[in-house]
Amino acid sequence: MSAARDPGEVDLLLALVRHRYGERLTTGQLEALRRGIEAIAEHAAALRAVPLGNADEPLPPFTAFRADE
Amino acid sequence: MNPVFRPLRELGEAVRAGRLSPVTLAETFLERLEKLGPRYNAVVTVTRERALAEARRAEAEIAAGRWRGPLHGIPYGAKDLLATAGGIPTTWGAAPLRAQQFDFDATVIRRLEQAGAVLVAKLAMVELAGGMGYCQPNASFTGPGISPWGPDAWSGGSSSGSGSAVAAGLVPFAIGSETWGSILSPAANCGVTGLRPTYGRVSRHGAMALCWTLDKLGPLALTADDCGLVLDAIAGPDPRDATAVDRPFAYDDAAVAGRRFRFGVIRDVAATAEPAVREAFARSLDVLAKLGTVEDVTLADLPYEAVTRLILMAEAASAFEDMIESGAIAGLTAPEDHFTAYARDTILAKDYIRAQRLRPRVAREADRVLSGLDALVAPGRPAVASPLDREFRSVARGNIADVMGAIGNAAGLPAIAVPNGFTEAGLPTSLQFLGRAWEENTVLAAARAWQSITEHHLQHPNVH
Repeated sequence: MSAARDPGEVDLLLALVRHRYGERLTTGQLEALRRGIEAIAEHAAALRAVPLGNADEPLPPFTAFRADE
Repeated sequence: MNPVFRPLRELGEAVRAGRLSPVTLAETFLERLEKLGPRYNAVVTVTRERALAEARRAEAEIAAGRWRGPLHGIPYGAKDLLATAGGIPTTWGAAPLRAQQFDFDATVIRRLEQAGAVLVAKLAMVELAGGMGYCQPNASFTGPGISPWGPDAWSGGSSSGSGSAVAAGLVPFAIGSETWGSILSPAANCGVTGLRPTYGRVSRHGAMALCWTLDKLGPLALTADDCGLVLDAIAGPDPRDATAVDRPFAYDDAAVAGRRFRFGVIRDVAATAEPAVREAFARSLDVLAKLGTVEDVTLADLPYEAVTRLILMAEAASAFEDMIESGAIAGLTAPEDHFTAYARDTILAKDYIRAQRLRPRVAREADRVLSGLDALVAPGRPAVASPLDREFRSVARGNIADVMGAIGNAAGLPAIAVPNGFTEAGLPTSLQFLGRAWEENTVLAAARAWQSITEHHLQHPNVH
């Protein structure tokens, strides 16, 4: 994947993970999580690179519900 | 008659004609599961009591002239993410859940019972179906799944035991599940046939949810015909699973001799595969030319793998939010599963939704390419079975490029993996046929045609 990533953004996101779970994590695990966050950021950048229009909606899994139907 | 490594149709006919007793058949496979299952880390629970009760019922019904069909009296195994009643654990492959029990049978289990099949085992799987990001084979409390083709060869996953148990002749067929690769991977590594149905073809009620918009259930067996017979029994709508659509399916087993197929190959689809896989695929294209035409096709430039992977990571993080946030994942077997999922807290909702908004484009593009074809063909997996002690991917970045898996699962398309010969090291390679939505009968026909002119599926490991 070639989409660019912002190191500052990755630092901020890693800080969120450290804030939530840091007590459980070793230094090595935090390094692995940084690589995981970088990969997520790359995936997200690849998705954001595709223009979408207002009418581009997800395939609808949700349907309105009535118990008597 | 030795019932091991026999196709379902042959077993079913012998049972119907009274030449083979369902009870004897169940005993044969129960013994094999108990004796040989541990060799491959293939089994979680042998369901001896339930199996013998079901086999005795089948025997009585058939003797009374009430034959239910080709699966009546035939033993099978189910991936241990399918709920089973009667005190049989359903562990999801996860050590913290090894005592988990349900008081109902999953819809697939019920449908197979209605077809007269006999549940002989709950089969091993990668913990939580691989949803926590495992990257090496030792990721289940039952140990790493082992392919019967090599003592150091990974069975593939996450339907590990479903692949290895069929390959070793421990069950005539098995049920697995696929979110991304979990049926095709063990089928490839174990040298058996595996069918991933269209999303919505088979009810997931009672199956562990990994990703609600990606999960599918399907059979692994010795032949494509076997897979068709099983799909016929398990397909159909279910009021308990809103995604299981009311779209009739009847297995079309019409003869394929003389039928001409149109196959497509995505340009460079095998370019990043391992050399042995590339070589086997190149040979298979020559064989496929005997069955029809093979043409190169080109896909629009879309982030296929990013779409599927982001959806998978986000939905799995939600499905197991309680285990992740409580820290219970530290009780899983694979060290990387103890923490990798924490990174998914950084997936933004708008990026997940963007992936879902891109999904219709993926589906339309796949359908555009497939509308002029019977199937896309590609290696079943881009790599052969890895050694048990080796990482097969990095923690975060997924496998070798797998555009077929990304598209096929994002678009919910049916695919079947069939054996495609062996490497010099004696490990199986695989070929997949991926079809248009709801075209299971087409990919099954293509796979049957392939198996009518090849003998790879007739080779079995030396298992005693």
